[in-house]
Amino acid sequence: MVEAELIARARAGEPAAERALYEAHVDRVYRLAYRMAGDDDLARDFTQDTFIRAFERLHEFRGEAQFSTWLHPIAVTVVLNGLRKVKRLRGREADLDEGLEVAGASRAAEPDLKRRLAAAIDALPEGYRTVFVMHDVEGYTHEEIGAALGVESGTSKAQLSRARARLREALADFAGERVP
Amino acid sequence: MTAERDDDRLPDSWLAAAREHHRPPDVPRAQMWDAIAAERERRTAARRNLRRLRWGLALAATLVLGIGIGRMGWLAGARPAAAMAPAPGTAYRVVAAQYLVRTEALLTDFHAASRGGRLDPQFVGAARDLLTTTRLMLDSPAADDPHLATLLQDLELVLAQIAQLPDEPARQDEMNLINQDLTQRSVLSRLRAATPAPGAPARIQGAL
Repeated sequence: MVEAELIARARAGEPAAERALYEAHVDRVYRLAYRMAGDDDLARDFTQDTFIRAFERLHEFRGEAQFSTWLHPIAVTVVLNGLRKVKRLRGREADLDEGLEVAGASRAAEPDLKRRLAAAIDALPEGYRTVFVMHDVEGYTHEEIGAALGVESGTSKAQLSRARARLREALADFAGERVP
Repeated sequence: MTAERDDDRLPDSWLAAAREHHRPPDVPRAQMWDAIAAERERRTAARRNLRRLRWGLALAATLVLGIGIGRMGWLAGARPAAAMAPAPGTAYRVVAAQYLVRTEALLTDFHAASRGGRLDPQFVGAARDLLTTTRLMLDSPAADDPHLATLLQDLELVLAQIAQLPDEPARQDEMNLINQDLTQRSVLSRLRAATPAPGAPARIQGAL
């Protein structure tokens, strides 16, 4: 069935159409939520909240863009707001920009590339990390990222470039592994 | 990945390591859908209850206002009939009209449903709500009209019986007694005579 028809039926309150829309998009939303949160419970909460909001606001979808283009800003907003709330609740008030120094300080203790890279990714400022995860890890285009974050695709490219530079800086001693 | 130009791409080994970080498990689709459906149902019920509460509060506020207006007229020396007769926009008239329409609808449905031997539990809840309003009406200037006062007293009796119906099959006898009261006292026909016709201004015919 064409997505536009599904959306029209979902708007009319047809549960089967809502379920079909959910099935078509849930994987990508959950994957992004999990990548950002690193926790199954949080990823589930964020994914559920995304779809609940989307269904409540379905009447606002005008069909001028793809449904996924409309859905992902909701998902990104839910995930980022949720993560900020979790950080506050956990009392982790450390400035995200200071994270790079933390990652750098632990170099000697974590020689393994995977662990070092993971720490460096987690230490990226929120904006850089979001773009890096969406583009380099989950394969979103800059246009999709720009739409999801409400920025120009050029801004997404610039953020990605800075994120990569930060990671290179944090993993400078692995630089020999760089693909020519 | 993407077909975009990627001059400062990270080494493949780094990207592979990055994709191992927070690697998502299988998507728990069914469990999340169940949770979504339950939460939406809960929110819908909460909104419905809130609407009912708002309506109830608005009705109660209007009724209290109407009673106040009527009493002020009485204290000012006006005869009860004079306090009630003109001014079709008076708040309690609107409330009284709504009350009579709702009561007529409930009793008509009850009459039909109880003869068929089946009664939705919602009848009991609705009867309780209307019983409260009936008692407020009996304390309002509306009860100064002898015809309406008698009707209100009969309605109070019938609604109280419905509101107290036990939740068990043996209640058929009690439903028959209520129907007997409805018939013997001509409650429904008197109620219909007092209820405004559909589309008519919100004023009470005859009794008020």
